[in-house]
Amino acid sequence: MESVRRLLLYNIFFIVFSCIHCDVFKEELFIKSLPPSHLYTHFQFVTLVNSDTSSFHSHLAPRSLVEVISRFHVEELHLTLTEGQWRHNQWGYPVLDAAPGAELYAWFSADVVDVDIQWKKLTSTLSGLFCASLNFIENFNTVIPQMTLWPTGAVKAGQNVTSHLRYASLPREIVCTENLTPWKKLLPCESSKGFSALLNSRMIHNTNYHSVGVHVRKNCISNDCSENNLEIKQTVGLVYDYDILTSSEWSFRKLYGQGLPGACPLSSDSKIYVDVTSNDTQPFTLIPPPHSVVLSQRGGSDVKLAIYDVKPDGQMINIGIKHNRNSDLPVPIPPPLYFNRYVLGYGKEFGGIVTELTNNCWTSINVVVLENAPWWLPIQLSTLRINGEAESSLIISQYYSPGRSRQKPYHLELLMKLPPRSTTTITIDFEFVFLKWQEYPPDANHGFYIGSALILANLPTAKNYTSLPNTGTTFDSMLNASKLWYPIVFRTNGAMVSLPTPDFSMPYNVICLACTVVALAFGPLHNICTKELVLKPVGTPVSLLQKVFNLFKRKRD
Amino acid sequence: MIEYNRMLASASFVGVLIIIGLPLWWKTTEVYRVSLPYDKINSFDSLSHTITAELTVLANDDTTASEIANLIEKAFQDSTIIKLRIHKSILSHSLHTTLDSVADEHEAVEEVASHFDLSRHNSFYVVQRKPLFQDVWLAGERVMFFRDSKASSTIVEALKGIIYQLSVVEGASSESADIARQIRFPPGAGYHVVLSVVHPRPDALKVDLDAGNAIEDYIGSFVDELSVLYNFTLKSQWLHLLNFDFQSTEIKDESEWGHHFAVRQDRLHLLLTKLEERTATHVSELPTINLALYAVPCDKAPLVIYDEYDQKISSPVQAFMSPKWGGVVLANPSPKECAADQIFRPDVRVIMGTFISQLRKLLGITDAEPIKGLYLEPLRSVKPRQWEIDNLLRIKTTEQLTSAERTLQSLAQLLGEISNIVINDEVGASINSAVESIQRASDLMREGQLVNAYKTSQNAFLDAETAFMEPSLLALLYFPDDQKYAIYIPLFLPIMFPVVLSLKNLLLWFRGKPIHKEKTD
Repeated sequence: MESVRRLLLYNIFFIVFSCIHCDVFKEELFIKSLPPSHLYTHFQFVTLVNSDTSSFHSHLAPRSLVEVISRFHVEELHLTLTEGQWRHNQWGYPVLDAAPGAELYAWFSADVVDVDIQWKKLTSTLSGLFCASLNFIENFNTVIPQMTLWPTGAVKAGQNVTSHLRYASLPREIVCTENLTPWKKLLPCESSKGFSALLNSRMIHNTNYHSVGVHVRKNCISNDCSENNLEIKQTVGLVYDYDILTSSEWSFRKLYGQGLPGACPLSSDSKIYVDVTSNDTQPFTLIPPPHSVVLSQRGGSDVKLAIYDVKPDGQMINIGIKHNRNSDLPVPIPPPLYFNRYVLGYGKEFGGIVTELTNNCWTSINVVVLENAPWWLPIQLSTLRINGEAESSLIISQYYSPGRSRQKPYHLELLMKLPPRSTTTITIDFEFVFLKWQEYPPDANHGFYIGSALILANLPTAKNYTSLPNTGTTFDSMLNASKLWYPIVFRTNGAMVSLPTPDFSMPYNVICLACTVVALAFGPLHNICTKELVLKPVGTPVSLLQKVFNLFKRKRD
Repeated sequence: MIEYNRMLASASFVGVLIIIGLPLWWKTTEVYRVSLPYDKINSFDSLSHTITAELTVLANDDTTASEIANLIEKAFQDSTIIKLRIHKSILSHSLHTTLDSVADEHEAVEEVASHFDLSRHNSFYVVQRKPLFQDVWLAGERVMFFRDSKASSTIVEALKGIIYQLSVVEGASSESADIARQIRFPPGAGYHVVLSVVHPRPDALKVDLDAGNAIEDYIGSFVDELSVLYNFTLKSQWLHLLNFDFQSTEIKDESEWGHHFAVRQDRLHLLLTKLEERTATHVSELPTINLALYAVPCDKAPLVIYDEYDQKISSPVQAFMSPKWGGVVLANPSPKECAADQIFRPDVRVIMGTFISQLRKLLGITDAEPIKGLYLEPLRSVKPRQWEIDNLLRIKTTEQLTSAERTLQSLAQLLGEISNIVINDEVGASINSAVESIQRASDLMREGQLVNAYKTSQNAFLDAETAFMEPSLLALLYFPDDQKYAIYIPLFLPIMFPVVLSLKNLLLWFRGKPIHKEKTD
């Protein structure tokens, strides 16, 4: 009875609360096993605020972020900081894919005149906000994708979205606790209560893959889209390795170092979704039992989800699984589309980048591939080969923007139709460039990172697909959301090249050597030119200095 | 002939290395510096500025007017910074009779306003009004009434201490910061005022407060009056679950609660550290004035601040202020709110009133000591008094001007001491414009055009700060001298040595003197 009363109180509390401020905060956790040896957990914290009033007076939304958004007139923003590499062919697809390192892309509103200046200011500000090296984003590593990226939120009709888009990635960025702490400060409950209390930096940086993200977009409230909502979504994706956990029976305490201390008291909806589809082949028991289990049929794949509705009562919850019997090793089903990227060539003159796309599906898939090469890796469109052929019927449309030294990266986009059950190889050659000595990063012999390629695909099936539909905000929008197409943007793995690197102590050595040689040569030269050899008659009086010299001479003799 | 050739060779070495090489080396390794008006910068004297203020004495008869005016003039003679331009005149008959007949002082102020322009900055009216209960009556507008010539000493005291606040204005230009300067924010282009509602226990207590409306209504109408000084941006945010341990001790008392929690004053600054973690002041481009409302949870209420002598601070609102940071109000819920519906409705009027009194100090409006025989009309609304704004303009103009001068002087001194500092064209332009603005502001101050002088001094201040803080100044600062010598010595020493020595022979030969004395012997 007491608990019912409390529950009622909370509900009243939130109804009153949300109506005064019209801010909504929701937290969700999605857990999926990636057989045979990994576990994927995805946190999602959504804050919905009224975009008209929120820029000056914020309630649940982080003022710092909202202020940045409104000051730079950003319509939509996606920032991810990722460590590790998502293995699409083994693990399937994540909810939100992210490039290794730091990745940032944003759409500015149509009234922004000079997008480049605004972009520079935005990156510098975000750099301070998230303690990441985003200030290294300059014009020379920013591209304007023409076909690959589309806004996920509301866009004014008739707006040219691509001209106000900027995309940059920093593959060398190392993501660690100093990025997580400012990220946590954006949450209304910070890390003291709710799901964010699980994000213990000691545990989450111990994973195979972790990705921290902030996604801001505008959603329509009304049908005619005259009113907008600002949706701030903060995500954390983690992939645990059972070998590091030392067992395949996971629990919150093993994954995060502690149990869940109830929901965040400010959250209107706190749910945990556990994908239990593999229970049919590999029986296991969830402890404690879920509040409900739903079956979601979406695009030809049936997914069973166990749902926990967590209450902000401060009770510790430790969700885990127990295997019923030791079953055989499960065979992972490869996803409909996967890809691989590597660098070709030897020596220090020419090389090439290869992107292999495998369509595993019974039907052809349309994809857009965006190759983004830095200015120091000039790629030539003339060397583009699809499956070894220069002229390929697979390309429907292409866009190429040549780079300019120290100003603009090379940027190639291909709209292609991948035939069913085939592997398509995209090869493009580059030549190595000599950099100025100040342009080399510290530890230049480590190599230079090439950013990931972006692949936009319209998948015909939802197999392995865990993303939310475009209109959805929370995971319940994923249930039974069958659509004609399932759009997703993938990031391939990055690559590394080693540019011709000089010996950096060389200039100083050269200066010292040259100075010594010049000094040695100059003395005799000067003497020959300006002095005269005069014979001295014997018996002339000798000076004191000469006497000392003579003394030494005699001794040597 | 051979000697001629040798000397020619020697001379060409000297020519290449010393006459061509040295200037070339000097020119190529020179640090780029735009020529700066050093003489003007060095001639700045922050104590030489004077502000001219208008003062009008209006009396019933000529003798009173000149008596009062003379006394005021004498009193302000030794003031280094404020020079008064005193006009004296006799009240017109109609105004005289109305002033003596109206019952209320506010009506009298309105009567004066209908005859004279009270909205003009930097002006002040001292008006005689017979039926007055006090010697001197000071309005919120730019008017002061006095009864008769016996009140002259009170008038002078009020002008010095309250209206013109000579000590504070002089303190603004002094080398060391006085108390008012230690509290108020340093000059800037504008301020962000952020109200942070701290709500440590959202699960246990609901706080019903529209922070956005509260700050717009109360603080908004206060800062609107100061729009001549700054652009203010008002913001509000909520900080939930910010747990701070006050280390309070429970003390039994006879209040409604039956107890209160005592928190020591010296513990409060730790709350600021905790707040600073979450308030995100650094994202704003302008300086931020923080106003924090801490909603005390029911299990710790009521929280009472104790001073350093362990004495309870008796005040209806528990609040404290941190100089140059902002103010904090601890809002205690009532026992009824805690017991029944668990909804806390803070008294917005009282809290915002407290914030405004803190904001006044933080922006530089100082409350003067009361003077015997003077009735100061209390503040009836959030708006500051008109002469307070004038005085703030004077203080800020002086402060900005002094600060700009000091900045430029230290920059000039630094340039003299450190030869590696680069002054590029942009920095040079902002230094020049700062110097120009300083001179113009000084002239405007002397002319008494206060608002223009303020704007110009603000430009001077901002230009000087940009020049001083420009990162390009430091471009070559870390190119140390020892590395330079590591390259110069191996190259120049062995080369220059014989060349310099050969100079002697060359000179002798030019004068036609024998080179080798011993040879001729």
